[in-house]
Amino acid sequence: MISQELQKVILTELNIDEFDFTDETKATEVPGWDSLNHVNIILAVEKYFKVRFKSVEILRLKNVGDLQKLIDSKLQK
Amino acid sequence: MNKFDKVNSKTLWERWQFNASNFPDNDAIVHWIGGEEPYRWTYKNLIETAKKFSVIVRESGIKPGEVCALIIRHHHLFYPLYMGILRIGALPAVLAYPNPRIHPDKFRQGVEGMSQRSGLDWIFTEHDLDPIIRPLIEKKNSTIKSIVFPLEWDLEKNYNKNSDDHIEQDNLLIKETDPALLQHSSGTTGLQKPVVLSHKAILQHVKNCATALELASTDKVISWLPLYHDMGLIASFHLPLAYGITGVHISPFEWVLAPVLMLEAITKEKGTLSWIPNFAFNILADKIDDEELEEISLESLRLLINCSEPVRHDSIVKFTNKFINYNFNPQATGACYGMAETTFAVTQTTPGEKIKTFDADRTALSKGIVRAADKSSVIRVCVSSGKLIDGCDIRIVDENRKDLPPGFVGEFAVKSVSMFDGYRNYPEKTAEVVEDGWYYSGDYGFISENECFAIGRKKDIIIVAGKNIYPEDIEDAVGKVENVIPGRVVAFGEEDLELGTEQISIIAETKFENETDKNKLRLEIMKAGMGIDMNIHKVYLVPPRWLIKSSAGKPSRNANKERILKKEDPQVWSR
Repeated sequence: MISQELQKVILTELNIDEFDFTDETKATEVPGWDSLNHVNIILAVEKYFKVRFKSVEILRLKNVGDLQKLIDSKLQK
Repeated sequence: MNKFDKVNSKTLWERWQFNASNFPDNDAIVHWIGGEEPYRWTYKNLIETAKKFSVIVRESGIKPGEVCALIIRHHHLFYPLYMGILRIGALPAVLAYPNPRIHPDKFRQGVEGMSQRSGLDWIFTEHDLDPIIRPLIEKKNSTIKSIVFPLEWDLEKNYNKNSDDHIEQDNLLIKETDPALLQHSSGTTGLQKPVVLSHKAILQHVKNCATALELASTDKVISWLPLYHDMGLIASFHLPLAYGITGVHISPFEWVLAPVLMLEAITKEKGTLSWIPNFAFNILADKIDDEELEEISLESLRLLINCSEPVRHDSIVKFTNKFINYNFNPQATGACYGMAETTFAVTQTTPGEKIKTFDADRTALSKGIVRAADKSSVIRVCVSSGKLIDGCDIRIVDENRKDLPPGFVGEFAVKSVSMFDGYRNYPEKTAEVVEDGWYYSGDYGFISENECFAIGRKKDIIIVAGKNIYPEDIEDAVGKVENVIPGRVVAFGEEDLELGTEQISIIAETKFENETDKNKLRLEIMKAGMGIDMNIHKVYLVPPRWLIKSSAGKPSRNANKERILKKEDPQVWSR
């Protein structure tokens, strides 16, 4: 499940009000989330959650659920 | 220098064979994969695998002169496959693998348009695209003969020595003026202009580029550029391969997710040359955390070439200031100006010399006059794309194609010994842009002290991250969105200073008046963009009859862009 916090960070970065995120949501399904914006979203997530991702970890992300899991693992939830 | 200048290769295959014989164990291509050990092709292995591919290509019924479209993701077998197609005299044409966000119907239409325009005969792709592409083959009057899945071929089992020998004999009959490959000029899939290049054009270009770059056998090219783009295909793939040096290829999809990959590749492989569009200078400077850069050293990099979109001075300064701390030599920043129609480069900055800039008076420049800024000027720092490379010529012309005297901004007309012979199956378009051997580029700029400064475009093309986008395509898609008044849409490029590129903005007329409706409409407009794989960055909604019309009765892009960017009209809603 995607946390409200993560949803908010993504929506803020994309400048949209709402989107129905699920674990399976892919970046390409979300308006505004293109390859140029991807790096901004990752940086915003890192800043908000005070975590740091390795490039290999970012490359392995397939969907928003994977991003949530990665954040959780960094925060040791 | 290696022996390139002394070898008189007639064809690319002959040239590659020479390299395989002379430097069999040198790395030809290093196929980079993030987080994994790279796959290394030596010249010997690469050419042997290419031969195996060529046997199956020919036995599949593919004939010399036929165009083979390659729609394949980053894969280590791509390179020998491409070479194998070329060996039998067929023409490889690299096309972009579709982004998942593009609607399958739209992608199919694009390939169909391209097949009719370029005369695609065969599609080499992956199984995932079979259901999307197959209907095209079954269509009446389709040019496409079949779809094949070369990554699944058993190269060992299908190899046949006799067939290989025949191909080698037939290859000797290929003339230097015969077509070698087909690349596409900028534009939307389906509407791109097909450019056929001969062996001679490519080999001469490689030679002239190598001279301008002072290429040496110790050079190593690092690239994440897509191979359907001339800068990726010619500069980063053909140049090192013809010259017998190493090309390191990173997936463009991976690079954009993890830009540090390029810097890691330079550090680990001791890369010396790289071509990137302007926006990449910003991404590399601003979007990588220092922690990730701990092991990065750009000491080996002798030329980082900015090309494919306007060179922005801020981007170069930003990059240099950041990476000087990672052993980047500030003199290693370079630029070039080129296009598919001239194979690639027309100009190149001099290696080892600081890139030249010209502080122009912005007001005078906007009127087409090149005047050095003084104390009262608003300055525009123009960055040089270098001097002409051997075999090329350039003129600055007015709208009637008459030469302009020095000190004026005009359109670049270019000539090259590696010039294309015209767009394939598109004589009317060729006639529009070629006259008396000069190619009228549509790019605007000026020349100062033999340095070429490209500063804009004649047409309304939007250049997002090195990709040329025609506003008409976006306007068509957005014009179909419900509650946008049909035909009352304008798309234009808006400067994104942070990213060092343009972003797509839309002005659309609507009868909607309240905030909720406008927000919903904006989202629908963005989705319409997604359907054609274009990210709409900003939406301006305006009331009916707001857009200014041109004399032709259509909304004027320039006038409306100017009006909207003044931000003076309270009727404009934007987000």
